[in-house]
Amino acid sequence: MPPILPDFCNSVKLKYVKLGYQYLVNHILTLTLIPVMAGIVIELLRLGPEEIVNLWNSLHFDLVQILCSCFFIIFTATVYFMSKPRSIYLVDYACYKPPVTCRVPFATFMEHSRLNLINNPKSVEFQMRILERSGLGEETCLPPAIHYIPPTPTMEAARGEAEIVIFSAMDSLFKKTGLKPKDIDILIVNCSLFSPTPSLSAMVINKYKLRSNIKSFNLSGMGCSAGLISIDLARDLLQAHPNSNAVVISTEIITPNYYKGNERAMLLPNCLFRMGGAAILLSNHHSERWRAKYRLVHVVRTHKGADDKAYRCVFEEEDKESKVGISLSKDLMAIAGEALKSNITTIGPLVLPASEQLLFLLTLIGRKIFNPKWKPYIPDFKQAFEHFCIHAGGRAVIDELQKNLQLSAEHVEASRMTLHRFGNTSSSSLWYEMSYLEAKGRMKKGDRIWQIAFGSGFKCNSAVWKCNRTIKVQTDGPWADCIDRYPVHIPEVVKL
Amino acid sequence: MSKSTNVSKSFHKILAHFFPFMISYSATFNHQSMVLPEQEHLVYNIRLSSVGPGRVTGSDVVHDLSGLDIAMKLHYLKGVYFFTDQAVEGLTIRQMKETMFYWLNDYYITCGRIRRTESGRPYIKCNDCGIRFVEGVCDKTIDEWLELGDDSLHNLLVYHRAIGPELSFSPSVYLQVTRFKCGGISLGMSWAHILGDAFSASEFINNWGRYMARLKSNGPLTLPKSLDNKIEKPHDPNQFVKEPLSAKQVNPVGDLWIAANNCKMETFSFYLSTLHLSSLQEKILGEDGRKRISPFSSVCAVIWQCIAKVREGFEPQIVTVCRKYPNYDNNVLSNSQIISAIKADFSVMEADLKKLALLMADDQGLDERNKIEAAVEKDDGVTDYIMYGTNLTFVNLEDANLYELELKGQKPKFAYYSIQGVGDEGAVLFLPGPPKGSNTENEGKLVTITLPEDQVLKLKTELQRTGLLPTELE
Repeated sequence: MPPILPDFCNSVKLKYVKLGYQYLVNHILTLTLIPVMAGIVIELLRLGPEEIVNLWNSLHFDLVQILCSCFFIIFTATVYFMSKPRSIYLVDYACYKPPVTCRVPFATFMEHSRLNLINNPKSVEFQMRILERSGLGEETCLPPAIHYIPPTPTMEAARGEAEIVIFSAMDSLFKKTGLKPKDIDILIVNCSLFSPTPSLSAMVINKYKLRSNIKSFNLSGMGCSAGLISIDLARDLLQAHPNSNAVVISTEIITPNYYKGNERAMLLPNCLFRMGGAAILLSNHHSERWRAKYRLVHVVRTHKGADDKAYRCVFEEEDKESKVGISLSKDLMAIAGEALKSNITTIGPLVLPASEQLLFLLTLIGRKIFNPKWKPYIPDFKQAFEHFCIHAGGRAVIDELQKNLQLSAEHVEASRMTLHRFGNTSSSSLWYEMSYLEAKGRMKKGDRIWQIAFGSGFKCNSAVWKCNRTIKVQTDGPWADCIDRYPVHIPEVVKL
Repeated sequence: MSKSTNVSKSFHKILAHFFPFMISYSATFNHQSMVLPEQEHLVYNIRLSSVGPGRVTGSDVVHDLSGLDIAMKLHYLKGVYFFTDQAVEGLTIRQMKETMFYWLNDYYITCGRIRRTESGRPYIKCNDCGIRFVEGVCDKTIDEWLELGDDSLHNLLVYHRAIGPELSFSPSVYLQVTRFKCGGISLGMSWAHILGDAFSASEFINNWGRYMARLKSNGPLTLPKSLDNKIEKPHDPNQFVKEPLSAKQVNPVGDLWIAANNCKMETFSFYLSTLHLSSLQEKILGEDGRKRISPFSSVCAVIWQCIAKVREGFEPQIVTVCRKYPNYDNNVLSNSQIISAIKADFSVMEADLKKLALLMADDQGLDERNKIEAAVEKDDGVTDYIMYGTNLTFVNLEDANLYELELKGQKPKFAYYSIQGVGDEGAVLFLPGPPKGSNTENEGKLVTITLPEDQVLKLKTELQRTGLLPTELE
């Protein structure tokens, strides 16, 4: 019977049955309540008004009883409101837009590769194949130090890049939100591969003269999913501290990490990673609920580090020539799939409507009890979310997720276009994707957004946001000058 | 292919294999104006990067090359501009590079790379790869540098690599900015002649100056109409039968675009003040002739005769004269300069200078551009040609606007151009001299002569005898 079902699914009639089932299960409470209410009303009407008044008078109320009841109600209400987690609002965020002077067209990247790897034409060929299929466009940017032949990644250049990216994003955030530097209570900076002393968060505090009692954190080494880890940390801190503002800065500094060797597994990041950064303002001020763009609903973190293969799949190490680079293992996609499954299993019950959860439960029971050969039911996440922001880690990641979650091309458009225009900007790519959706005018009030990020470790982190107000198309932002050209068709293989 | 070209080809391959790490010019017959090893360290801290257009030109944008362009492929122009510290005060490399990203939006053709069609005809793929930007430092002041008097040293200020052997990874343009001890800079440009002539190259770099001064800004992206830069097609089919006099075929060079010489070439230059020029005119032409013949013609006549005397028995009967095309469109890069072949039916050595000068006037000589175009198109651009040095070549760059490149409103202190890849017959460039004050009429002229090195000393003696060259060199 199971193999026949998929054919039926294509028929239109079954589609309506599905819709009916979903409506029934999702609104089961309302649907059961209506007959109950109807029953009570009919009963009351039957009794008649005098009977109701007699019933009321027969209840003897004592002053003590009334006071106790009131006290009990007030006490329960207070406990409920106190223990309710504070709403975390995302007031606004700003993404860094690199200047045209940092632009690296395909041809320039290949030529520089050829000159830098002059003794390894095979590695150059490999990079060309990667670039052709990468899904990147001709406008992605690398920092100035990497434009040199050979690249000149000094610490000073790395700091310079960090300053340009972070300060631009911060200035933009201040302008957009009207935030004063002195009002920042929590500062979290995440940058995986560049971790100087004093930290980047200290650099920000120094530049903007932030308060001396600020709670600052600098997360390094946590990979591309560190952005959502920072959001999670900010959320926990905002639960502990009432009426606070938290600024989260997600970025990746490319300068010190350009791989100078010729090991193929390590050349891949060179082809994909590009300059980018984002600054996000989170707040638990009650007054922000009017102007905040989003409200944080869930953050789910899954860590597969306990598995050795997962731990080693994205590994920074020295190659045979003692050149440091990040080695990506061949099972990366498989491990990512596993991590995603884990994450979905946790997030599913939190976000999926009851209809999907019931189906999933039934198929699970069916598989366990009746027939283990039944195909596992993949819940339809399109019912739980309006928008998907998949970390633009590479074309393969987006393709894999599109397949696993059965998403349409429009759902993954934001991720693909971000990869095309900005490349893989690591932890900040999710924010460029959100920005794309806003620039296209697709964010309406009540929309739910799912941000998924993968990172070294191996981690899969998700965040669920709910759009707080319909967002008007803005004239600033990283997409302002090019949104009209998007979406573009990205060919399977670009002719170089 | 002869054995010597085989050997030189493999040598080129080895050279090209290590080319990013070479900053010296090795002593081969294929490089002119060799720099001595002990002088190489004068410019150091060489750093290479690329600058390209800030705007995406688009995929599959192609620039077709005309026959004339392809005929010039083995030649390169090298120009150096010296700016004093006042002109570049506070100017950083970063600012220079930033302006270039806007300037190159107009010149996306120079940022492309050479490809070949299936039939082997070269064309330019406009893939925004960029021009090479080179930085260097020199511990001398500009005055000290210019006092050294050795033209071959200017090669240290112009980073130059021939196109090839990997055509798709060879930039056509290199720009080198060298900082001197006095705070001034030199801007060295290596320009592949396939893109355009010296008038185009000069306009190209002058526009950068205008972008630096914010006098220009980008217009909308205009893609080329492929026949824009072609000159009018000739009507007479009989013109095509004969091979051109001013360009000749050379042995195939494959994908490494270097013109081979049979002997080492050397370049030297000298300055002629306006006074000197007018006295020379008087001497040759008398009072009336001056109005009909330009200083260029008279100077070239003297040089022609001197070279004829030096090459006794093999005097050059045919010379090539190149000058600016009067209807030159300075918005387009093109090889539009007029290339005329001038034949002397009499002995040059004993001729009357006036007669020679008249022969070289603007309206004389056969314009060979169409002939060259036809010769190249005959086998669709596959054969390799050279133009400069096929015959003794005189190039009039008076109107090349060399001193219009301005930084902070200041003209260059000195500008110098030379040609890389001149054939064995040699070439003479007639350049405007450095401006003295605001009156351009006060400027003299700079003459540079490239000849086989064994003829240079004898020529200098001859020129001194005629009074063209002062006995004490500047």
